[in-house]
Amino acid sequence: MKVTINSWNTVALWKWNVQEDDVCGICRVAYEGCCPDCKVPGDDCPLIWGQCSHVFHMHCLLKWLNTESSRQQCPMDRRPWVTAS
Amino acid sequence: MLKIWNMKAKEAAAEKKKPKVSAAQLRAQKGFYKGGQFNFTVNISNNYPHEPPKLRCTQKIYHPNIDLDGNICLNILREDWKPVLNLHSVLVGLQYLFLEPNADDPLNREAAEDLRANRRNFEANVRTSLRGGTIKGIHYDNVLVR
Repeated sequence: MKVTINSWNTVALWKWNVQEDDVCGICRVAYEGCCPDCKVPGDDCPLIWGQCSHVFHMHCLLKWLNTESSRQQCPMDRRPWVTAS
Repeated sequence: MLKIWNMKAKEAAAEKKKPKVSAAQLRAQKGFYKGGQFNFTVNISNNYPHEPPKLRCTQKIYHPNIDLDGNICLNILREDWKPVLNLHSVLVGLQYLFLEPNADDPLNREAAEDLRANRRNFEANVRTSLRGGTIKGIHYDNVLVR
């Protein structure tokens, strides 16, 4: 018997590479969720990793770094923020 | 239907924008301020946690780091605030301030001088103030746990 496949649909699931139930230290929303200013999680509300190993929602961290009081430091350890490449 | 839904959404958004006010109470069980019960108002702006909550003591107390208007000198309430801190960290900081008043960073200079010059005398003055006594012509609120 020969089977001919005419078409198929693929479904994929992806997750951020972080501990599953962990939350952003700034907004306390799950990494898998999105920052308080966004409506849907995913590529439009990504995470950002620092060289110091700390992770935040990118929007949360940028909002912090844009304030004067941040002195461009990681909110966790106060080391100068350097985004991990 | 859609109109009602829109209205609800707008209400929710407005609710979110309202600054939040809350209150906190701290009871000192050790140290100079043992037996005192201190009340604070907590103002949380829309920009929290990017801005620190604003705390103010509602009673007039004798403390080197709290002035007579209730303003509090605590590093994490100002220059050392960071958005990963929360109300819990602030209250822990406050507890520490009542356990270890700090004469090097005064808001009430007289109290700070007093603490620096003679801890015994400072302690006696604190006891007096907690009972609602008068020190150097200034009357303090009775804050002892009833």
